[in-house]
Amino acid sequence: MSTYGFLVDLGLCISCSACEAACKTWNNVPTGRNVRWRRVIDQVLGVWPKVTTYGVSMACNHCADAPCVKACPSGALTVRTKDGIVLLDKTKCIGCRYCESVCPYGAPQYDATEKKMSKCTMCVDRIDAGKEPACVDTCPTGALQFGKLVDIDHEGVKQIPNFAEPSYTNPSIRFVPKEG
Amino acid sequence: MNTLDANRREFLKTSGTALAGAAVLPGFLDGIVRKASGPVPLADTATQIISDCAWCGSACGMKATVSGGVLTFVEGLPEDIQGGGKMCAKGKAATGYLYDPDRLKYPMKRTNPVKGVGVDAGWVRITWDEALDLATAKLKETIEKNGRDSVMILGLASPDVWARFQNCIGTSNRFDHWDECFLANRVVSANVIGGFVWGHDFANAKYIVTFGWDVVGKAKVVWARAVTDAKKKGAKIVSFNPYKAAGTSVVADEAISIRPGSDLAVVNAMIHVILAENLYDKAFVEGLTNFPQYETEIRAHFAPYTPEWAEALSDVPAETITRIAREFATNGPAIAPIHKKTPSANYANGSETTFAITILNVLAGTIDRPGGRFFPRTHTIPGIDAIVPPPAYPAKSGVDIVGRHRHPFLKAVGSGMFSCLADGLRKNPGKIQMGIITRYSTMAFPNPPEVEAELKKIPFTVVCDIFPNEIIELADVVLPSALYLEVSDLVARDHHAPYKMTVVRQPVVPPQFETKPLGSILLAWGLKAFPEYWKNPDGTPINMGYVLDEKTKRAGLGANFAEMKAKGFVKEVAPFVPRTSFPTASGKINIYVKAFADAGFEPLPTWKQKRDVPSSQYPFYLLTIIPPMHIRNTTENNRITNEIKGTNEVFINVQTARGLGISEGDTIKVRSRVGEIQVPARLTEAIRPDCVLVPHGFGHQSRLMTAAYGKGAKDAILVPGQSMDDILARKDVGGAACIMDAVVSIAKI
Repeated sequence: MSTYGFLVDLGLCISCSACEAACKTWNNVPTGRNVRWRRVIDQVLGVWPKVTTYGVSMACNHCADAPCVKACPSGALTVRTKDGIVLLDKTKCIGCRYCESVCPYGAPQYDATEKKMSKCTMCVDRIDAGKEPACVDTCPTGALQFGKLVDIDHEGVKQIPNFAEPSYTNPSIRFVPKEG
Repeated sequence: MNTLDANRREFLKTSGTALAGAAVLPGFLDGIVRKASGPVPLADTATQIISDCAWCGSACGMKATVSGGVLTFVEGLPEDIQGGGKMCAKGKAATGYLYDPDRLKYPMKRTNPVKGVGVDAGWVRITWDEALDLATAKLKETIEKNGRDSVMILGLASPDVWARFQNCIGTSNRFDHWDECFLANRVVSANVIGGFVWGHDFANAKYIVTFGWDVVGKAKVVWARAVTDAKKKGAKIVSFNPYKAAGTSVVADEAISIRPGSDLAVVNAMIHVILAENLYDKAFVEGLTNFPQYETEIRAHFAPYTPEWAEALSDVPAETITRIAREFATNGPAIAPIHKKTPSANYANGSETTFAITILNVLAGTIDRPGGRFFPRTHTIPGIDAIVPPPAYPAKSGVDIVGRHRHPFLKAVGSGMFSCLADGLRKNPGKIQMGIITRYSTMAFPNPPEVEAELKKIPFTVVCDIFPNEIIELADVVLPSALYLEVSDLVARDHHAPYKMTVVRQPVVPPQFETKPLGSILLAWGLKAFPEYWKNPDGTPINMGYVLDEKTKRAGLGANFAEMKAKGFVKEVAPFVPRTSFPTASGKINIYVKAFADAGFEPLPTWKQKRDVPSSQYPFYLLTIIPPMHIRNTTENNRITNEIKGTNEVFINVQTARGLGISEGDTIKVRSRVGEIQVPARLTEAIRPDCVLVPHGFGHQSRLMTAAYGKGAKDAILVPGQSMDDILARKDVGGAACIMDAVVSIAKI
């Protein structure tokens, strides 16, 4: 189990994308290349008029059994020993995109301009400075939360509709499902 | 890694494609703004400056991280309860505006006499002096030859320096977007509760009912937070909206699909139930309103508006209306928020809808009460005219091309009427000889092509703006304005102000290129055009720094502006003392508005249908939303928010689409009685089968907005404009702009 994880309260996500803008600016992720470490995915379940709608804010889930790390042939993807954060060393990345093909969450993204992969760091610099990730820090409704995985584990469930089977990678994310 | 070189290459690349055939501005490529590269330094290794965000009226306090003179990051100011330390996508994307390579950088003048959206103006760079001399000569000549009313201003009546400049011109032809926003709400609020209020104390409400105003989905942090805070505390949220993916419907306990434009029927029926069952707050209603005086008229008025009657119009079951009415009246504090959109401007019955919702809040007894709509407690910041009194201004004629003077209540407010502008210009050919436009795009009007056709006939137009939107292409002279991140001001809170709060606005970086703050532009222009109004009694030019110092001092915020900058944020926490009298003539709230009756309007909210209703030719209601990461037809060019959502589509109910043989992604022709657009289909189960929805803010035609140009389509093309005759004919007390009042057909191409 990783040290930290995200908790997404689906009843509170209004798809405002503040988390996306925060991620882009804090991490200075280049624009115009469709590299978006965090994305809000709108969900509409059911059939009109009985529908449930919510957003799911999704980035890298820093999996305990990260398939991207196993797939990486160049040693660019590593797991930080002390807390399980999955990091990409761009100097070692060869842009082969194996990680992209094995990740169920679309976390490693190919930057066609640099010909290298790019991915969420969980704002490791902020965590090391005792701050929450930028996305969580700005979430206006508290839909996106962050904490120690042991604490989050009991707050939510591991799987929601349209989310990959968690036993495959053991992602560090939990969901508070939406009622109704 | 956006290095300077990469930026330059990027710009050249776009100029080679999107800008094919357009002249590159002289000097456009020198001094490309530096941009930070690599991760943002943590705050302790950089400077943090307290200021505020200006993308909406909430103006959340923020801390800006500046490293080596470059803005790298903004975050919320936790002690400011507007944002509570949070910011929305628009605010977070600050660097995207500041370092937008498309920003207007220098004063420019047109060399191509042929005007039109999409026509290259042949801009050449000129100096500020040249620009203002040219603008001054034209202004003086126009006033002298054709009178003050031949100058038209498209701009707000604020800030105070702008008002002063407008008063120097003395024209009655000033228009703004208020009728598309909250003008109806303003007229109604002034006459019912005594004044317009922004304040909604959601966090302390136990029951929240929204009609069409997607208070959460707009993503104003102040309200999105407060509503979800209320939810966490166990409040019940009910959202009436035909689109179930609207933010408020997403967080609501009950998301009720309602027929567009029928909110008034449901609200009147709720009032019917509350009155019939005597569920209103008796102490409040009998003690603080004119209900006792007009009880007979009020009860008689609402008697026919039964839940069964409303069900036929709205598709909301009568028993649901009855239940919600009872719950609303007995689970206080209850609030039905009103700001804009459906309750105010969307449909021809917007004023009546706003009126009815206001009465609903009055019956719940929550006007200026915890958990209700409340009057802000704010610092009083004096305007420039109080600090440096001007000589007497020229008298205004009070007559405008739109005909606001023909309408007693619109005349009194003196704002708005974008929805009637094309009609006003058409009916007064040659009347307007000069235009002055600040911070408006033609995309802000119903039926933009109609407005553009009229605006381009104006012989000379000065535009003062930050970004090169469509209106630039109709200008003769462009004055580049500074961004909120580059200017100084004091911003008193009014959105959520249970006690006095003011935040500073201060430059986090100096104005980029040759941009200037609006105040500096108007002072420089004023000294040339109307010197006696822009000088002190001793003949020296007004010092804007002194004005700001005086404002700070007189508002009790500090000894001078420098002190306010150091403080950043001033709040005077005090207990909220509910009003026992209201700023109306009688001191009481008017449920029955005699002033409306005296002027020939309805004294109580009377049912009327929206303007355009479905027909065999146009079977679908058109809906629109402003996506939460965008605002004001402006943010679409920000590279960050553009990447999140850069284009639009038409949302169609899955069953409806199947019936028409439409699949996901098909190009769809959406047509109304005034226009047609083409957008890709997006199938969803979250919308009523008789509605289609096209998000607003896309379809930019200005080639100078290189990120937004040519992406998506303008929903407003589908929306008919109107005239003052239309407003008077339907006895509309608040002049609703009908910005969503359209019906359309859809067909696969």
